[in-house]
Amino acid sequence: MPLRLLKYGLSRTYPVSGDIPATPDLKPSYDVVIVGGGGHGLSCAHHLSKYHGISSVAVIEKGYLAGGNTARNTTTIRSNYITPEGIAFYKEAVELFENLSQELDFNVMFSQRGQLTLAHTEATLRSFHARAEMGKHLGTRTEVIDQKAVEELVPSLNMDYGGALEILGGLWHADGGTARHDAVAWGYAAQASRRGVEIHQRTEVEGFEVVGDQVRAVRTNRGRIACGQVLIATGGMNYDVAMMAGVELPIRCYPLQAMVTQPLKPWLHTLVSSVSLHTYLVQSSRGEVVIGGGSDPYQLYSTRSTLDMKEHLSEGAVHLFPFLQGVRLLRQWAGVTDMTPDYSPIMGASPLENLWLDCGWGTWGFKATPVAGKRMAQAIATGRVPDILKPFALERFETFRLLNEMGATAASH
Amino acid sequence: MNRLAEPWGSRIDRSRPIPFTFEGKHFEGYAGDSIASALAASGQWVLSRSFKYHRPRGILSMTGADANTLVQLPSEPNVAADRTPISTGLRVSAQNVNGSLERDRDAIIDRLGRFLPVGFYYRTFMGPRRDSWLKFWEPMIRRKAGLGVVDTTAPHRHFDKTHLHCDILVVGAGPAGLNAAIIAAEGGADVVLCDENPEIGGSLTYGRYDPAMLVDLSSRLRALPNLRLLIGTVCNGWYEDNWLPLIQGDRLHRTRARAVILATGSIEQPAIFRNNDLPGIMLGSAAQRLIRHYGVRPGQKAVVLATSDEGYCVALDLVEAGVSVMLVADPRSSSETGPFEAELHGKGVTIQKAATIDAAEGTAGNRHLSRVRVGGSWIECDLLAVSAGQVPAWQLPCQAGARVGYDADSGSMTLTLPKAPIHLAGAVSRGSDLQGAIASGRQAAAAALSRLGQAVVEDRIPNKPTITSRLHVEPIVANPKGRDFVDFDEDLQVKDLLNAVKEGYREIELVKRFTTVGMGPSQGRHSALATARIVAEATNRTVAEVGITTARPPVGPETLGVLAGHHEPLERRTALHARHLALNAVMKPVGAWWRPYFYGEASEAEKAIRGEITAVREGVGLLDVSTLGKLELRGPDAGAFLDRLYTMAHANQPVGRVRYCLMLNEMGSVVDDGVAYRMAEDRFYVTATTGAVARVYADMLFWNAQWRLRVDVLNLTGVFSGLNVTGPKARSVLEALDSDIDFGREAFPYLSGREGVVAGVPVRVMRIGFTGELSYELHCPSSLAPALWDAVMTAGKPYGLKPYGLEASRILRLEKGHILIGQDTDAITTPDELGFGWAVSKKKPFFVGKRSIEMRARLGQARKLVSLRFPADARDTPGESCLVLRGNAPVGQITSVGFSPTLGCTIALAYVHVTDATEGSRVTVKCRNGQLVEAPVVGHAFFDPANARQEM
Amino acid sequence: MKILTCPMNGPRNIDEFQSFGPVRAEPDPDMTADADWSRHLFRAENRRGMVVEWWRHVPSNYFFLAERDLVTNEIIRTFDASERRAQS
Repeated sequence: MPLRLLKYGLSRTYPVSGDIPATPDLKPSYDVVIVGGGGHGLSCAHHLSKYHGISSVAVIEKGYLAGGNTARNTTTIRSNYITPEGIAFYKEAVELFENLSQELDFNVMFSQRGQLTLAHTEATLRSFHARAEMGKHLGTRTEVIDQKAVEELVPSLNMDYGGALEILGGLWHADGGTARHDAVAWGYAAQASRRGVEIHQRTEVEGFEVVGDQVRAVRTNRGRIACGQVLIATGGMNYDVAMMAGVELPIRCYPLQAMVTQPLKPWLHTLVSSVSLHTYLVQSSRGEVVIGGGSDPYQLYSTRSTLDMKEHLSEGAVHLFPFLQGVRLLRQWAGVTDMTPDYSPIMGASPLENLWLDCGWGTWGFKATPVAGKRMAQAIATGRVPDILKPFALERFETFRLLNEMGATAASH
Repeated sequence: MNRLAEPWGSRIDRSRPIPFTFEGKHFEGYAGDSIASALAASGQWVLSRSFKYHRPRGILSMTGADANTLVQLPSEPNVAADRTPISTGLRVSAQNVNGSLERDRDAIIDRLGRFLPVGFYYRTFMGPRRDSWLKFWEPMIRRKAGLGVVDTTAPHRHFDKTHLHCDILVVGAGPAGLNAAIIAAEGGADVVLCDENPEIGGSLTYGRYDPAMLVDLSSRLRALPNLRLLIGTVCNGWYEDNWLPLIQGDRLHRTRARAVILATGSIEQPAIFRNNDLPGIMLGSAAQRLIRHYGVRPGQKAVVLATSDEGYCVALDLVEAGVSVMLVADPRSSSETGPFEAELHGKGVTIQKAATIDAAEGTAGNRHLSRVRVGGSWIECDLLAVSAGQVPAWQLPCQAGARVGYDADSGSMTLTLPKAPIHLAGAVSRGSDLQGAIASGRQAAAAALSRLGQAVVEDRIPNKPTITSRLHVEPIVANPKGRDFVDFDEDLQVKDLLNAVKEGYREIELVKRFTTVGMGPSQGRHSALATARIVAEATNRTVAEVGITTARPPVGPETLGVLAGHHEPLERRTALHARHLALNAVMKPVGAWWRPYFYGEASEAEKAIRGEITAVREGVGLLDVSTLGKLELRGPDAGAFLDRLYTMAHANQPVGRVRYCLMLNEMGSVVDDGVAYRMAEDRFYVTATTGAVARVYADMLFWNAQWRLRVDVLNLTGVFSGLNVTGPKARSVLEALDSDIDFGREAFPYLSGREGVVAGVPVRVMRIGFTGELSYELHCPSSLAPALWDAVMTAGKPYGLKPYGLEASRILRLEKGHILIGQDTDAITTPDELGFGWAVSKKKPFFVGKRSIEMRARLGQARKLVSLRFPADARDTPGESCLVLRGNAPVGQITSVGFSPTLGCTIALAYVHVTDATEGSRVTVKCRNGQLVEAPVVGHAFFDPANARQEM
Repeated sequence: MKILTCPMNGPRNIDEFQSFGPVRAEPDPDMTADADWSRHLFRAENRRGMVVEWWRHVPSNYFFLAERDLVTNEIIRTFDASERRAQS
């Protein structure tokens, strides 16, 4: 038994760690106001306070801590993207996850069991080769594997030899994995608040006081806060919040749905996703099979679920694993994703001098929680955007320097 | 052994004994028994071990809604034993046990509980090494987690789906739902009434009510032809616009209702005290269900916890079923007297007022209840019936948008209805007695009918219901030693929730996420209100401020099979599919289509493909191009329309001519290409790539919805088939066929089109081709394509004509440097990057993407698509997608590559840095094995660069 | 399944329809500066509130307009494109 548990077992009273302090009163001003108490905002707060000595930080959260897309995503962590810029960034994301439990002294349960993406068509296989060649070159573990290797990795897969949707091969990404999403946010929150960062739950931003190219203050339902720097990291609300500061982002919001089965004894050890079926599955540490896929077909801010998507995801899951027919679904839910035209985030500076953006995370934001927080903190603290973030600047849409990630995200997130 | 005599046991047929096994032991029940009732009848009360502490668990609710009764069937995990009927030979076993249900080695965890507080896994299992979680701790936890086991070899089952439409859907056939359905149907509405139970009646079938009422309702219901009854059918969700999944066994009725009446009743709540989870402690309604539905005596010596009249009815039922009722404990003050008190006294039952159960104890290993403590004294018993309050079944109303509130005065959850056309009836709307439930059912029906504009017969409108009882909440008696379970599914005790609050997880959703309360199979049915009350008290807030966690669909667990239904992937075959099979083609799926990959034995692929290539280059070949997108544009503005859509000029294209067409999106990226054949002044026949045609067609219509030019677009992709006859001898083959078309070089030059008849088949023929050889593409109605194919094959015989497949076609086009959209282009490819300046009109004032490519040209381009030729003796050659490097930086990738038998070397198309794009530059390519090879950039077409052959 | 009422075909399940997104401004390409042009290309109406958007009824290939609330998903009304042109 790990020693840590002895502490609990042998204490007379429960030894409280106090992960999340109760929301304090708002101060009149902070050096940094982070709008959005999700994983990204909390990660940035942690990095500001731990590595840049900035602890006059308020994290403003409209609802409860990390209750937006941090709580709703299906926790895929991977770096098998297409572009060199994307791979470099997400590679750092994976590396930070590998050490995150130690960094936070909070077990985020990073489970690097690998991700297998399946190809049912030659075209998909070709795109896998593109990702594998780029990934290998940049030092990630990404390779194309054949039918036989796919079967060895996941023997329970329906290979469907001879059918139109037979599995031709796969993209095996040994670096891929999952982590417990809530734990990531809570771990950052606990660390940041220990260093003086204030977390304000149920505190909603109502507007910004902008003078010239400066944000002077953030107006909230609990009062006005003067601010040195401001970061917007509000997930599905990014478009709206940025608009309050007069910044229009190229973002459209779409619901992304997922669902989960009852707990089962472990049988699926890797993440499995299928491009053609728009379905992916992963079995959590609790034994639940989490099933997800593509976004809804039209713009919407609602987190309502649909029967259509549930039927569609079930079709995909049962096609890949026919024996799941008798397995029971427990819950479905949705999050609101902020999609950009090139399926890549918008990070870095905004047209306002002290307003920073950590937006456009669409369906792929969770995996970037540590790296986005780290690098945005660096940008805010130094006033200079680090090189690794530069390709993700908002200006790229004016200069047509789009990131060519269209296609890497479908059904993988 | 626990079976009661008739008339108890409405569901069982004592003439049909059914043998089955549980944990390898033989049992016998009756037809109609659930697994749990049959086992209980034989004295087997323990059904499972709990999720975390592996404590024995038994019947709790008899509604299939808790984790206590989840068992394993051979091919189905997590089956609710209290809902699932037995069948002959059924093999049932326990889940989540290490060893057996009886001797579970993991039961030791129950004693180690203090070392495993709530959320313990967040605080440890991180070392000693960085990957210890992955390599050591997680595998251990994963083995312990989970309940049932999936059978990866489970046989395929058939599931299906139907559609149902009705005016009014009534969910729940209890007294409120039955009355609502009958009134609605009598009012003329088309009604569907569904209930998850195998019979109608709801609480009338197990509660202490006059059976005559159900008989009367049943006969009225059956007399209504416009009322469709679906029993054994659960309404498992509510979706926008009253779209509801009704699940009946292995069938999903996707149901659209104009109005919905939810009469889903209420959920009886457990009480919280130490050891409140022991087998033998069950809800009062569960005891009643065992007695009335299955004729099973739920115990020998009982204590009843009663906080309302309903509990007294349970006690009376127990007495009548031969159970010794030792005590009825009633937390209410002695001034509150109900109508059943005297009756109970008359039967010699002791009633203790202002008393509750504050602890229980079990037999060895906590396998069954042995005694309970009431007001400091222990009472021996083997049954505790808990009748201590209900909450409305809030899941469906909440999914429909109802808001959950809390009425502190009555201690009840309340529901506020949304705008959607739904109505509540019976216990789900408010606590009431039977008369109240009936009245609210009738009211709901009247409201639904008037919403639909249907007349309501005056005398049917009942008076307001009188509320005689109210929803009430169960006592919470937290125990310092714990095992006072709030959530049985997840083994959560009061202190777990309190500790979560202490850690700062004060919001109800955070408490849920940190502790996992409400996340198990019962999805908070038995824990949500208690959790809210505990958290409210711990954080000095009201229950209303704390709130109840969101109820998400589905209402109850549902199989993936019933959601997936019977699903076959769509696939398309060309009209010539049978011809290909007859010619021994190896077929491959391309998108939805099946296409010949090559003709011949799979073992001789390379030889066969080379033979096909040689035939085309030296003789003549035949390719089925039916999968091409085919669009016909008609109208006086057809030319102007194409001018706006494509980059080349089409308005001035002469009739009878064929022109390449290249489509951009607004961003200026290449999205499709094809050819346009002007068949008449106002008529074009346009091809599109196979994968893009659906989108191209939709985009054409979309643009014209805005431009409103006088043109119609037809998608003829499936209607027409295409045959490409290509090779130096193509003309000879066609001239050998009976036709009114002159295939001669002058009469029918390159890039022109003709209409006519070939071998009796009406055709439109275009002199185009992907191979670089003399080519004629014959398009005809698909029904006639096999006849045309046969005629061409016969005529081609003397010329050695060979049908060829996709792989040969791929090499042939590569030898000519022809691009494939989607393979050699990506989402940001511009015509400039392809060197397609020739295909972009400089004169047209507008086409889609024009403004953007001009702007992008000014911003400068970084890469260009070029042809690379690798030395014939190269040891390493790259595969598709290999990187083009500059220094060590990737600047591009190979998009197409292959060995050209015609040239005797490997050739490729690749994106390279723009400064390396000139002919003669050398670029470095990284092969898949990591080797770097150099190759020169060559002119665009590898073969016949002057393009003489196609114009022969 | 949500219902969308097609002005031509009446109320139908929404899976019979294809969304073509909010109606966009139509700037004159030749009169628009580069920066404004790229903004036009990549921006999208995404305010929390009502949008007017294009829909296609796929079986009949009829394009029409709908006013829909992006937060509640309520479809306020649907109408033929000619109505909008008549207004502008």
